[in-house]
Amino acid sequence: MPRGLVERYVDSVAGRTGGGTWLTKNLRKVFPSHFSFLWGELALYSFVVLVATGTYLTFFFEGSQEQVIYDGSYAPLRGEEVSAAYESVMRLSYEVKGGLFIRQMHHWAALIFVAAIALHMARVFFTGAFRRPRDLNWYVGVTLLVLALGAGFTGYSLPDDLLSGTGLRITNAIILSIPLVGERLAFLVFGGEWPGTDIIGRLYPVHILLIPLLIFGLLGLHLALVWRQKHTQFPGPGRTEQNVVGERVWPSFAMKSIGLMFLTAGVIAAMGAVFEINPVWLYGPYDSGAATSLAQPDWYIGFLEGSLRLMPPWETRIGGFVINNIFYAGVLVAGVIFGGLYAVPVIERWLTGDDREHHLLDRPRDAPYRTAFGVASITGMTILFVGGAQDLVARTFDMSVGHVTSILQISFLVAPPVAFYVTVKTCRALSERPGPERTERRVPVERAADGGYGVPYDDTDIDWMLEGGAAPGHFDEITEHAAVRGPHRGASTPRPTSDGEHDDSAAVDAGAEAES
Amino acid sequence: MNERAFIAAIIAFAVAVAGGLTAAWGYWNGRTDHVLGVGLAVALGGIGFGLVSWAKYLDLDEHVVQQREPLQTTPAERQDFAEEVEMTSATVGRRRVLTTLFAGSMGALVVGFVGPIGSLGPKPRGELNRTGWGPGTRLVTTEGEPIPADEGPFDQLATVFPEGEVGRDDSQVVLLRMSPDVLSGRTIEGGSIDGWVAYSKICTHAGCSVGLFGIDNRPPEVVRQLVCPCHQSAFDPTDSARPVGGPAPRSLPQLALDVDADGFLVARGDFDRPVGPITWDQA
Repeated sequence: MPRGLVERYVDSVAGRTGGGTWLTKNLRKVFPSHFSFLWGELALYSFVVLVATGTYLTFFFEGSQEQVIYDGSYAPLRGEEVSAAYESVMRLSYEVKGGLFIRQMHHWAALIFVAAIALHMARVFFTGAFRRPRDLNWYVGVTLLVLALGAGFTGYSLPDDLLSGTGLRITNAIILSIPLVGERLAFLVFGGEWPGTDIIGRLYPVHILLIPLLIFGLLGLHLALVWRQKHTQFPGPGRTEQNVVGERVWPSFAMKSIGLMFLTAGVIAAMGAVFEINPVWLYGPYDSGAATSLAQPDWYIGFLEGSLRLMPPWETRIGGFVINNIFYAGVLVAGVIFGGLYAVPVIERWLTGDDREHHLLDRPRDAPYRTAFGVASITGMTILFVGGAQDLVARTFDMSVGHVTSILQISFLVAPPVAFYVTVKTCRALSERPGPERTERRVPVERAADGGYGVPYDDTDIDWMLEGGAAPGHFDEITEHAAVRGPHRGASTPRPTSDGEHDDSAAVDAGAEAES
Repeated sequence: MNERAFIAAIIAFAVAVAGGLTAAWGYWNGRTDHVLGVGLAVALGGIGFGLVSWAKYLDLDEHVVQQREPLQTTPAERQDFAEEVEMTSATVGRRRVLTTLFAGSMGALVVGFVGPIGSLGPKPRGELNRTGWGPGTRLVTTEGEPIPADEGPFDQLATVFPEGEVGRDDSQVVLLRMSPDVLSGRTIEGGSIDGWVAYSKICTHAGCSVGLFGIDNRPPEVVRQLVCPCHQSAFDPTDSARPVGGPAPRSLPQLALDVDADGFLVARGDFDRPVGPITWDQA
């Protein structure tokens, strides 16, 4: 059977495409492993779930604001005038067998998608993985984050329920507040004065075609760049700026990664099956005269919601014109945040003057100012996020909303600098103190048959373990010992080299040479 | 070889089989509430767990070294590209008139597409400054009932619309009846009648419906507030709905009221200011 597979691949595909050893070479590509490299994969796999479940939903959803009379099986709404979009979501949830499960899976997957991107981005930021040559991929990644938020927001708005309708209403107001062009732009987007009859029908193709297409394209580019530039790695024995130490894609890495895909889908499916999300029947259809209290958007819009709630009631007058405070809270804050994210590699290069290639990662403590900047930013974002639910906070702690707002406003100005200072101090203290991975040198000891103790390795092996260098014979190319900054916990104790691994790695290196 | 991982993988894949079959059973028996979803979750999770265990069973724990290829461009490659660029400017760029005209025609193409993009929405022609209210327009409830001026509970919020335009977004109004002696002078001047006051229901902050009315009877004084549930802007209905808290910068426009011959509440005219969040030229 394996023999047959070889012949079939070589004859039918490789032999017709000039593929040659392409597949072989890539199956042997080396990936370093570390738990923090998992977030990006998690994002990728939740996107797979999103596409699969979303495709199913499109077969039932109707992107129309045409008013119809609801007569489905949800009794409290029967006889009410609702939009066709809302009606189709109700039908999907109540009449279509399994429809609610897929819909809830889609919504949970969206929340996890954005969360995984955020964690992935934090990992890349705090370890300095965005530096040359990966600054290029950082820009692609930030764009993917923006697109993910766009996908989330447009999808959230489609059911045309009271909550999402209110969200669109606020979006309309924010667009209106843009100086000079706001009114024209809002009329273009919404097809006239709010609410109009067009917006759901317009968001639908944006949500299911335009944004997914862009995500597909950029995701492909993102992964292609990772593949081409090879993965970063933490410093450790035998790891240099010139190599990658890890496991080959096939079989172990691929198996674990595909396993992760199924686990991701499994967890999302469990959430979709058990935890109710976005019960639009409780919110009711959008009705312009109504609004509900204690309403929060999906978590990833929380920072904007908070920014709107915490911005003081300032109006700016310029000549005969006026700028509403929602322009600052909505457009300017978002602009600063995303502009700042795009500028991260440029700012770091400008501050450090470092334009060299980096393939070895920093530990966060080794770059105190970068880490502190990240922690301060996250602190600010967290305060905005809490501000987005300040009424809930007030209710929970039995305080007045006004007091909670004032406290958060002051915290927003004070907490980030404090967080910055504390983080710098903490990083300094941590890097002055030798970590466990710098003091511990574990050498395996074996008890012999005669009751004595011995070391089951030869002397050269022990030497490198004590020095924190690389095992002779275990790694093929140790050219620059100076580049090895010391062992890292991630690099586990290597085993003796008699199990044939050596030959495999030689083959991999041969592959890499053929590539170049 | 890791035997525990081997056994874990066997169990996981077996559980996955059971999960898939449970899901199918759930669907055919109409148990789509939880059984279908949990079954599929178990199937997916089982496969995932099985694959990871399988990988663990293989126990490769490799430390393979692969050399990075240099990403930087060599001087020779740079030179090659420079020659390519020179060749281009010498051939394609030789006729300036063609390059200029080509760029111009592309620009014109873009200009030509501005029209269809403009069709997405009409040009604003003062719609934002007008509502459905006019002199003598009756206030009606969401059911279309007019409001008699001489009856009605105090301190209760009602949402009203212009007669014939129930549900028109820009014309939604909160109507309140309060004891006339709690109203400020400018509120009365703004058009209250017998303690009835009417304000635009659209928040001047971000346009949500100001749907909450609260009254705090605790001494020393009674406090009445209109609150927008979206971002917690608060307005004082006894004093021209001026903002008293939260992010809203302006008071809610007041609708001047009158009583018609049949004793029902009517508007004296449209709002004297644009409703909703303020835009660039509504200073």
